Amino acid sequence: MSFLVLEHIKKSFGQTQVVKDFNMSIEKGEFVSFLGPSGCGKTTVLRMIAGFENPSDGAISINGKNQNKLKTNQRNIGMVFQAYALFPNMNVFDNVAFGLKIAGMNKADIDKRVKEMLKLISLDHLADRYPYQMSGGQQQRVALARALAPKPQVLLLDEPLSALDAKIRVSLREEIRQIQRQLGITTVFVTHDQEEALSISDRIVVMNAGRADQIGAPSEIYNRPATRFVASFVGTLNMIDATVADPAANTVKVGENTVKLKESIGALKGGDKISIALRPEAGSLSESAKGDTSITGTVVLSHFLGSVIRTKIDVGGNLISFDMFNSPDTVQPQPGETVTLRFNASDFLIVRD
Amino acid sequence: MKASKALAWFAIAIGVIYFFVPLIGTFEFSMRMRRGAYSFDAYQSVFSDAQFQSTFGFSMLMALFTIIFGMLLVVPTAYWVRLRLPQMRPVIEFLTLMPLVIPAIVIVFGYLRLYNSSSWIPFTGSIQGTNMLLVLSYITLSLPYMYRSVDTAMRAIDVRTLTEAAEILGAKWPTIMFRCIFPNVMSGVLSGAFITFAIVMGEFTMAALLNRPAFGPYLQLVGANRAYEPSALAIIAFAITWFSMGLLQLVSRFSKMAPSKA
Ligand SMILES: Nc1ncnc2c1ncn2[C@@H]1O[C@H](COP(=O)(O)OP(=O)(O)OP(=O)(O)O)[C@@H](O)[C@H]1O
Ligand SMILES: [Mg+2]
Repeated sequence: MSFLVLEHIKKSFGQTQVVKDFNMSIEKGEFVSFLGPSGCGKTTVLRMIAGFENPSDGAISINGKNQNKLKTNQRNIGMVFQAYALFPNMNVFDNVAFGLKIAGMNKADIDKRVKEMLKLISLDHLADRYPYQMSGGQQQRVALARALAPKPQVLLLDEPLSALDAKIRVSLREEIRQIQRQLGITTVFVTHDQEEALSISDRIVVMNAGRADQIGAPSEIYNRPATRFVASFVGTLNMIDATVADPAANTVKVGENTVKLKESIGALKGGDKISIALRPEAGSLSESAKGDTSITGTVVLSHFLGSVIRTKIDVGGNLISFDMFNSPDTVQPQPGETVTLRFNASDFLIVRD
Repeated sequence: MKASKALAWFAIAIGVIYFFVPLIGTFEFSMRMRRGAYSFDAYQSVFSDAQFQSTFGFSMLMALFTIIFGMLLVVPTAYWVRLRLPQMRPVIEFLTLMPLVIPAIVIVFGYLRLYNSSSWIPFTGSIQGTNMLLVLSYITLSLPYMYRSVDTAMRAIDVRTLTEAAEILGAKWPTIMFRCIFPNVMSGVLSGAFITFAIVMGEFTMAALLNRPAFGPYLQLVGANRAYEPSALAIIAFAITWFSMGLLQLVSRFSKMAPSKA
C-alpha cells in the first residue's frame, strides 16, 4: 500500500466540477510534482490533502489511515505557501517554533529542534530577524523550516518559488530537493513551470482540466507523452500532418518524404490522415549522422540564439521547428536552402488527443 | 498660479483663526480666575474637585471596558467576515455605520424601552446593570471607528493564508485568534482604542439619560454653575482628545515602519 493515496477524488464548487476523478498513489519518501496550466485544479487537490477543502467524493489516506474526516489541524501535514505566510509578529525562531509549541514540546527540545531546522536551511544566524527584515528567498526557507519542524507525515508545497526571481528560484528548488532527500519526507510540489517539475521530481503528474493526464518519471513524461496535451505542455513540440503510406511497414508520408515510425500504426489504412509529433531538438543536419529515416525541406527562417540555432523548415506545408546546438564550426542554415534532417524512427511520437 | 496659492493660504488662515481664536480665548479666560494676574487657579480648583476625580475615573473605567469588550466583539467579527463571508463585508460595513446615522438620543431611548427595570432584560434595574448598558451603548457609538480601523489593519495581512498556515501547524481557533491575528492587527486595535477613549470621555447623552456619574454630564454641570472652571475643563478635554490623536499618529507611524509582508 502506498503512503499517500488519493482515490477517485472529485471536487465541485457550486455547479462547476474542478477536479474530476483524480487518482494517485505516492510512495513514502517520494517527491511528486503536480504540473499543469493555471486553473487545472492543482491547488485544489493539494488543499484537499491538507484538509482545507473537503472532496465532494473519493478518499484520501495517509499511511493507510483515511483522512477525510480529519480536520486540517489533526493531520500532521507540513505546507509551504506561495506567499510565504510567515507570522509577521514573530521572529524566525518563533515562527519555526510555532508548530512545536502547539504540539506541547518542552522548551529545551523546542530550542534544539528549531536550531537544527535553522541549520538545515543555513539561516541559523538570522534567528532573531522578523519576516519583514528578510528577502523573499530567506522567508521561504524559513517557511520550509517551519513546515518541517514538527516532523510532518507529508510536505505540501504550492508554487513555493513563483514569487521569487529566477536565480533564487533555481538555487532554492535544488535546496528543497536536497533537504527532502536528506529527510526522506514524502512531498507533493505544485508548479506550472515544466522545467521546475522535470528537474526535481521523482514523478510528475501532468494535470489537465481536473484530471491527471499522465503520471510518470520526468524522462518518461518528456520522451513518451501519453496525450497531445502532455506533449505540448511539457517542452515544445512540432505537430506534423502526415498520411499513412504503408501500415505494415509503419511508414507515413510527410510532404514528399516517406518517414518510418517506431510505434505501430497497423490499425490504420493507407491514405489515412495522422498527426505525428516531433521535438525540435530531435534529429540532425549532419550527413554523417546515423538515422533510420530522413526529411527534406526548405529553410524558411533561421535564428542564432547563442547556444542554440533555431531553424524553421517547410516540409510539404508543415512548418517544422528544428533546434541544433551551436559550436564554432556549425554552419548556420540560410533561408531558401534545402536541407535534409536525419531522424531515428523513435523520434516521432504518436499522441492521442 | 501665484494667486491661487495666496488664496489657499488665505483659506488656511481663516480655518486656523476659526479654530484657534476661540481656543486661545478659552485658554486665556481659564487663566483669569485670580484677579489681576494669570494663574492656573481654575485648573487647581478643577483637579481638586472630588467630583472631577470620581467622574473622570468613572469615565476612564467605562472607556477601558468599552475598548476591551468592543475589541473582543469587533476583531473576531472582522476576522470572520474576511475569512468566511467576504460577500457580507458591505453589509457589515453598512451596519457598523448605523450609529453615525442614528442619533445617540434615539439609541438610548431604544435601550431604555428595551431594557428598563420592568422589561425582560432589566439592565437598568441595578447600578451594575446600568453601567453594563452604558458600556454597551458606548460600544455601539464607537463601532464605526473600531470596525474600520481593525478592518483596515486586517487588509494589510493575508488573514486567510495566515489562518491556514496556523491551522496546518496544528493550531485551534483560540490560538489562531490570539497569537496570529490579534498581534498583527494591534495597530488597528490601538487606533480604534484611542478614538474610542476620546469619544467615551466626552460623551454626554448616554451617560446623562442613563443617569451615570460620567465625565460628560459633569462637564455640563460645571459649565452651568461656575465661571472659570468650565474653560479650564474645556481645555483639559481638548488635551485628552489631542493626546489620544497624538498616540494614534504614533501607532500608525510605528506600524508603517514595520510593514507586514505576509
Ligand atoms: N473556493 C473556490 N470557489 C469557486 N471556485 C474555485 C475555488 N477555488 C478554486 N476554484 C476554481 O477551481 C479551478 C481550479 O483552481 P485551482 O486553484 O486548483 O487551480 P490551479 O491549478 O492551482 O491554478 P494556478 O496555477 O493558477 O494556481 C479554477 O477554475 C478556480 O476558479
Ligand atoms: Mg494554484
